[in-house]
Amino acid sequence: MGILSSVADFIDSLAKRHRLLPWLLAYALLLPLPFVLATLFNEYLIDLANRICLFILLAVGLNIVKGFCGQVTVGHIGLYAIGAVTSAVLALEPGGFGGALGFGWPIWAAIPTAVLVTAFAGLIVGLPSVRLEGAYLALATLGLGESVRIFIAVTPALGSSTGLMMIPSPSIGSFVFDSFTSYYYLVMTAAIIGIYFSFSILRSATGRAFQAIREDTIAASVNGINVVKYKLLAFVLSAVYAGLAGALFAHMPPGYLHHNNFTVIEMVTLLLMVVLGGIGNVWGGVIGAIVVAIAYDQTKDLVFYFMDRPIVIQPLVFGLSMVLLVMFMPRGIGGWIEDFQRNRRFIRRSEERLGGTARNS
Amino acid sequence: MRILNKIYAGVVAAGIGFTTAAAFADDIRVGITMRMVSENGQAYGQMMMDEIKGINEAGGIHGKMIKATLMNDECKSDKGVANANKMVFQEKVHLLIGSSCSSVTLPIVDVTAKAGVPQLVPHSTNSKITQKGSEWIFRVPVSGRYYGGVNAKYVGENIGTKIAYICAADAASVGDCANMEKQMKARFGVEPAYRADVQEKEVDFRSHMQKIKSMNVDGILVAALAETMARALVQSYEAGIGEDVRRIGSSSASNAPVPKIAGDAAKGVFFTAAYAAADQRPIAKLFNEMVKSRYGIHAPDHDFSQAYDLVRIMEIALKNTNFTGSLADDRTAIRDAIANVKGYEGLASGPISFCAAATPQCRDGNRTAVLIGYTKGGENFETEVLARVTMEEDFGLE
Repeated sequence: MGILSSVADFIDSLAKRHRLLPWLLAYALLLPLPFVLATLFNEYLIDLANRICLFILLAVGLNIVKGFCGQVTVGHIGLYAIGAVTSAVLALEPGGFGGALGFGWPIWAAIPTAVLVTAFAGLIVGLPSVRLEGAYLALATLGLGESVRIFIAVTPALGSSTGLMMIPSPSIGSFVFDSFTSYYYLVMTAAIIGIYFSFSILRSATGRAFQAIREDTIAASVNGINVVKYKLLAFVLSAVYAGLAGALFAHMPPGYLHHNNFTVIEMVTLLLMVVLGGIGNVWGGVIGAIVVAIAYDQTKDLVFYFMDRPIVIQPLVFGLSMVLLVMFMPRGIGGWIEDFQRNRRFIRRSEERLGGTARNS
Repeated sequence: MRILNKIYAGVVAAGIGFTTAAAFADDIRVGITMRMVSENGQAYGQMMMDEIKGINEAGGIHGKMIKATLMNDECKSDKGVANANKMVFQEKVHLLIGSSCSSVTLPIVDVTAKAGVPQLVPHSTNSKITQKGSEWIFRVPVSGRYYGGVNAKYVGENIGTKIAYICAADAASVGDCANMEKQMKARFGVEPAYRADVQEKEVDFRSHMQKIKSMNVDGILVAALAETMARALVQSYEAGIGEDVRRIGSSSASNAPVPKIAGDAAKGVFFTAAYAAADQRPIAKLFNEMVKSRYGIHAPDHDFSQAYDLVRIMEIALKNTNFTGSLADDRTAIRDAIANVKGYEGLASGPISFCAAATPQCRDGNRTAVLIGYTKGGENFETEVLARVTMEEDFGLE
């Protein structure tokens, strides 16, 4: 605990000098990670790190609408799909190998366009939140998310069952982001920027409006907060994260998308990340994404033999984890972090107060 | 004393580490990624592991043991790619086997091509898999382009040309539908009398069946995964479409859940596959008995036979490989040894041969499809072999 407090104090002192300093330090520390992983372990872990970065973007984005603003959405995976497919279709060459639609756009134009399209889709997904709440909103967003997947599944121009294949990797000049290491710098940068903006939103007037809506919609409205506007804004901001994560997923080698990547199971896994991490806590989403991705990876070849028959127990492990989490750790890991920060603040203020009393006496 | 204990522990730990590293270096590492989400899916994986265990118990390959890692990809491309990356870059496999689903195999082809790892495909039939031009890919099953041709020829010549199509949205079924449609047009100049694109796990076919009933078609092609196909077949009879309208299945009709779930509705359904449990060859009879006694499967489908054939082909290739100890060189040597497999006759409908060129002609190993009909549905289903057709190696290519 002492080391954690020292680290937290150091970060606080950096932030007091300039609010970007802790982020730049984090970025600098993460730069050599691929070389460390490849040297000490193996290249595969860089691929895992890349996927974790995408999950972080998704989880942090979902936290904005669900954690900050309190809107129950189960359609986030549909937005992820929209971002991925839009960017892929825009970047694919017309008449390519897979036979799907292609426009041959430069990737650096395709990705922001995909983010914009997803943001607009987020607005549409958010519309039911104006009238619906709780389980009804969850059902409405689930329907929208699933309809996106089914639409992709039955539309040959969007890859249908064969999928979108040979989606090009991004490049700058002759440098192509087609290896685990090069792609890491792309997704890690996006994840760091995503986390930073999530904190910025949380600490802004917009973030406070979101939290007011989450705590009590009527009270927020009575206090002059435009509830409809802020609810829709939460969905749009969340969609921007999902769109960016989707676009980066589409162009990640080997550049292949299939509608099966965007099912309800993926949505539940995403929810598990946010719940495990702690709803409403930015670091919770980050930690949840890391823990779930690593746990998933480590349990994928966990085969239990019963009467000489293999039984893949990963789904059972994940299902049980979700139930146990909700029962015994409803605030997730983020809850511990909040407790730690609260205790730290309390101790510091107590010390300051005691110091002040001593001086006065 | 404490210092001595620490030294002793260090020596033991170093010994364990060294032994593990030595064992790691001596093994032939094989990675398997498959769809392990159904009873049969698990049995395919189990059978591969059992067969590999059998090779090890018989002394391995040139004294080397095969260390196989089995992973579940749930028939999802992102999970399949992650499995492939893990096995290639972490497990450092010499050979990758996978996957059951075409939509998973398609992206893995790019992973193995880039990393230079030989890949054997156990079940995927989508014709694009071998058209990507990878020199590391080898397909054991019959390609969808051959199935389409055999189905179209038999249907057009024996049943009629007015055919309704029900096409589910999984990669193999879409491919089967497209190939059949293309061949019917090329051979007989006909378009589908009716075509419905349905979801991969569609449950309600009644409206489609009513429309089909009103059209007086000669046959209905149901291209879908096993459970979905069984539901469609049952509902075709519920809609009142008579037995005179022949039901044609895609290659998934070979899977046991189709006759088990469809029951009497499976009777008369015919399909093309790579193996018939009704095969009268001694090797097939022995195989049927082995699968029944080991896994409790009444009659193995072609996914069982293909998994079995794949392990035998792998064994032949590994025996013909000169291992040097360099992973990259060994992977290349295994690839070349697989490419040298010619005329392998196992359980498959026809001989399996590969060659060196990275073309579908060289890498779609089995060109013979067998036409099979169900003579009885239910738990104790029965089949008959209608015909066996070998296609030209460049058949169905653009």
